[in-house]
Amino acid sequence: MLNEVLFRFATWISQQPWSSGLQGSFYMYNWVETTHVLTLSVFLGMLLMIDLRMLGYCLTSVPASKIAERLDKPMMLGFAVMIITGFMLFYAAPIRTTQSIWFRIKVVLLIAAGINALLFRRKMHGAVHSWDQDPVPPKRIRMGAGLSLAFWFGVVITGRCIAYNWFDCGQEQSDLMNWAAGCSGEFGGDILAR
Amino acid sequence: MDLLPFFNWLENSGLGQAAKSYGGVYAMAQSFHLMSLAMLGGTVLVTDLRLLGVLLRDVPSEAVNDGAHRWFKVALLVVIGSGIFMVAGVATKAYYNDFYWAKMIALVVGIVFVFAIKRPLLRVEHAKIKPWLLKMVALASIMVWFTVAACGRWIGFSG
Repeated sequence: MLNEVLFRFATWISQQPWSSGLQGSFYMYNWVETTHVLTLSVFLGMLLMIDLRMLGYCLTSVPASKIAERLDKPMMLGFAVMIITGFMLFYAAPIRTTQSIWFRIKVVLLIAAGINALLFRRKMHGAVHSWDQDPVPPKRIRMGAGLSLAFWFGVVITGRCIAYNWFDCGQEQSDLMNWAAGCSGEFGGDILAR
Repeated sequence: MDLLPFFNWLENSGLGQAAKSYGGVYAMAQSFHLMSLAMLGGTVLVTDLRLLGVLLRDVPSEAVNDGAHRWFKVALLVVIGSGIFMVAGVATKAYYNDFYWAKMIALVVGIVFVFAIKRPLLRVEHAKIKPWLLKMVALASIMVWFTVAACGRWIGFSG
């Protein structure tokens, strides 16, 4: 049911001229993808610096809240660019992406990372003054930072795997995999793996 | 000196064969490559934006520089390690790819720049260095590492 709705939605997008236009444009598509990947160093780079500080491994002489607050803006800027370019990449290849098991896991991990970030923020603002100057923050903070690293590493791995055709629809694989990847109707393949 | 025999040898070596045979391992190496790219970019940006006076202005520039440099070295090692594995699987193709060579040249320039120019220069108190020089160093650093990463992504699009 949900697979059917998603498939119809993806088909509708794929029929728009701008979708096939973006997909067909060598330079535009590749620059969007390059921007998506390079912005990793802005978004994930800042996030890694914050998480390493929260784990007590980096810039330990600087108060933890200061690192988190000051690096927040560039991090969110990077995040915005990643989200926009991410939507554009989806828009250019909607059917194949919708029917990618990797993309589906990636979305779940993104949601998990988002929830973890919200909880982390709350935990941090709750009692930051008690451990702000400590080189190594308390365990619950380190747990949150560790989880954040794990979720984002998962997002990177699954994101990278979207380019591979291991579990693409239309090949022989179990019903469970076909269902999980959302293979329904005619099969995708609106763009080759790059 | 023609390096083609070396690239042929690399592709046929155990490492090259492993990179070719195990798609899952290859994708993991790529993921490590991307994560360490993020880490490398993060340390470069934090250091250089501090030098430019954009970020963390009330934290001593020396502290930011030293703290970030430790993780820069870790990231560089992982980037190079995973990169060698990645190129081993497609060595001959990489040899004929212009962007691969552009990236390698940029990478060597970046490494020489960091260890022969930037680090020695920033070892003294930053207040004693002319502000325009600090800013030039920061801009050059951002540009060279951006070039490395952008050429890297473009290897996959060409050839």
